[in-house]
Amino acid sequence: MSVPRSRMLDLMKAQCQVFATTYNPDGLRLGNKVLRQRLRGPALASYYPRKVATVKMMNQMFGMKVPKGTEENEETGSSDRSLATWDDAEEDRTTYVEELKARGKGNPKKKKEAVVKTKGFGKKKK
Amino acid sequence: MSHWRKKTLDIGCFVGSRTVRDHTKRLVFEQHEAERQALRYVIRNTSLPARARAEAQLQLQQMSNYTRPTQIRNRCTIGGHTRGVFRDFKMSRFNFRMQAMAGVLPGVKRASW
Repeated sequence: MSVPRSRMLDLMKAQCQVFATTYNPDGLRLGNKVLRQRLRGPALASYYPRKVATVKMMNQMFGMKVPKGTEENEETGSSDRSLATWDDAEEDRTTYVEELKARGKGNPKKKKEAVVKTKGFGKKKK
Repeated sequence: MSHWRKKTLDIGCFVGSRTVRDHTKRLVFEQHEAERQALRYVIRNTSLPARARAEAQLQLQQMSNYTRPTQIRNRCTIGGHTRGVFRDFKMSRFNFRMQAMAGVLPGVKRASW
C-alpha cells in the first residue's frame, strides 16, 4: 500500500506546525541551522574569574568615600566610618609618595594654565 | 584595539597583557554574537536575493577580528599559558599538577592501583 506524496507532505506540514520547525519539503538551504544554534557568548565571556570585593572597593563603599564637610549619618549615602578597613597596599603607596616628596623627587604639580604647544615638540627627524 | 578594553580591570586571576586581551575579545564577541549570527543566517539562506547575501558577506568580513569567536583561546588562569590547558580546571597541565598535589582542587587525587 503506497501513500500519495501529497498526503505525506500534509503530514510533514502538520509535524512542522506541532514542533515549530520550518516546513521545507524541497530540502532548500534556508540557513535555519544558524538560528537553531545556541548563543555561546555568555559561556565564553565568563571564562576568567571576576574580581570580587577588594579592600579598595570595600573602603569606597563603606566610609572612606565620605566627602569633607558632610555630617555623618545623613541621608545622602552611607557614612559609617567604622566599617573602613586597613588598606596595606594603599598605605605603602602613600608613604612612598611622601618619602619622594620629602626628598624633592615627587611628581611636579599640575599647571593651572593650559600649556601652549610649541611647534618643535617631539622627536627630531633626521 | 585598546578601545574595546575595559577602563578598569575586572579579572581576578593571572593578569598579563595577553590574558587581558583574550578577556576583552571574549566580551566583545559576546556583544556582537547576535549580529554575527544574523549575518550568517542571511549568507546561508539561498532563498534570499544574491545581492543581499553578498552584502551580508562583506559586512561580516568587515567586522573587527575581536568580534570573531576563533580569536578566543583558552588560557591558564594561574599562569596565562595557552598550551596544555585543561578545560575543566582552566589550568595548564603543570599548574594543575601543582594545585592537585597541594590538595587545592576538590575531588582530585593521585591515581594509584
